[in-house]
Amino acid sequence: MATMGLLSVRGLTKTYPEFTLKEITFDLREGMITGFIGRNGAGKTTTINSILSFVRPDSGEVLFRGVPFEEDPRKIREKIGFVSAGMTYYTRKKLQTITAVTKSFYPAWDDAVYRQYMQAFHLSEDKTPAELSNGMKIKYALALALSHNAELFMLDEPTSGLDPISREELVEIFLRLKDEGKTILFSTHITSDLEKCADRILFIQQGSLMADEALDDFRDGYRIAEVVGTVPQELQEASHGISRTRDGSTVLVLRDAYPAEKTREATLDEIMVHLEKEAEA
Amino acid sequence: MKLLRKEFTLCMHPAAYVMLLLSAMVLIPGYPYGVSCFYMALGIYFICLSARENHDAAYTLTLPVSRRDAVAGRILFCALLELVQLLLMGLFTVIKYAIGTMPNPAGLDAGLALIGEGFLIFTLFNLIFFPIYYRDINKPGKAFAAGSIAVFLWVAGEVVATYAVPFVQYVLDTPDPAHMSEKALFTLGGLALWAGGTYSVMLRSTKRFETADLSL
Repeated sequence: MATMGLLSVRGLTKTYPEFTLKEITFDLREGMITGFIGRNGAGKTTTINSILSFVRPDSGEVLFRGVPFEEDPRKIREKIGFVSAGMTYYTRKKLQTITAVTKSFYPAWDDAVYRQYMQAFHLSEDKTPAELSNGMKIKYALALALSHNAELFMLDEPTSGLDPISREELVEIFLRLKDEGKTILFSTHITSDLEKCADRILFIQQGSLMADEALDDFRDGYRIAEVVGTVPQELQEASHGISRTRDGSTVLVLRDAYPAEKTREATLDEIMVHLEKEAEA
Repeated sequence: MKLLRKEFTLCMHPAAYVMLLLSAMVLIPGYPYGVSCFYMALGIYFICLSARENHDAAYTLTLPVSRRDAVAGRILFCALLELVQLLLMGLFTVIKYAIGTMPNPAGLDAGLALIGEGFLIFTLFNLIFFPIYYRDINKPGKAFAAGSIAVFLWVAGEVVATYAVPFVQYVLDTPDPAHMSEKALFTLGGLALWAGGTYSVMLRSTKRFETADLSL
């Protein structure tokens, strides 16, 4: 029998005139970081928005610890912290004002934890979101979520637009959260961030979930063959996507589909890029 | 209460304070006082506009509240502002009477009946504005255009009625304390309509908002 995760998504479908999210099903395992990858427009944000009920799916359901989201949205939302790089609330209000309102909604709010994270993140309550860098905005959103004792963190492109140092800092924070037993869904198209922290990978392509497995298994399932000049016929037949390089091409193949000595390990980035190329072809 | 506090702390637009002060327009001699209710409608529009710019819906829906709670919070907050506007109009009317008043040739005189008229104007605005607004919260302008056209037509009708409808001309549009019982009944009727109308608006708006996809 399949084990149910902290959050279970079952057959989530949403149709727009030009895009369809198709029967998305997965479980988020407790205490793990799950990377949610796919190119821009693949359906990552639509999936997250459907989970959080920002958009209404045509079918499917979302369960938190086995309880359907719609059955007890208030209680379930208490346990979820949502952080999105693209969204800043009340840009001209002081952080202390936003915090004062936010904490009144959470019975489990812990002021000591809040102060601790504000200090650790070097955030001043006298500032407004407009005065914060993108990285600091993410940290403030995290501080709020941590202070109401969220169990699940939904992070939508949290590292987008950040410099490498800030991204590294955030990845370290996510790893600390994982050590504390928190569960994270980390949507991004910057796969190198996930290489550092993710346990599992969800790969979405054109609205369909193509992979839901351990990061190492996903990565180990593929190899890269580097070819100078034309790609040989046998490699083309084994190919799961070909990408041009300056001197020739790189070809993604399944681990056992091509002699190991002629290939090397594939990065998450390479796997995603090649699979997208294959889908386009 | 928590959502009302959130609305007041995070969503209240500075322009709405100015609109509240415009209830002092009852002090202007010869003016269609119903227009000061339009200004509060404008204040409500600013609140909804600023809510969109500040991703208020996304913030609210990440809090442990339902969509129904979010709608109720916003509509109750706006209704509270409308009530304060009418109370202030009442207060300024008392001041006007203390200074010395004269009949208003441009609509109802400042007085108890004007408060009843204010309730009717807000009922009309709420019935039109909120259901359209909650169909797509990213387009408050469309809802405001429809609501404000209705309010202006109503106020224009009120001015005409003070010359053409005998009950309005000889009972409602008279200086207080003349015909106080009729005016009190009219105002209570307006209050009941406003309360009932706003409740029904809340139900209709919730129904629309429940099924809406939010592009945040």
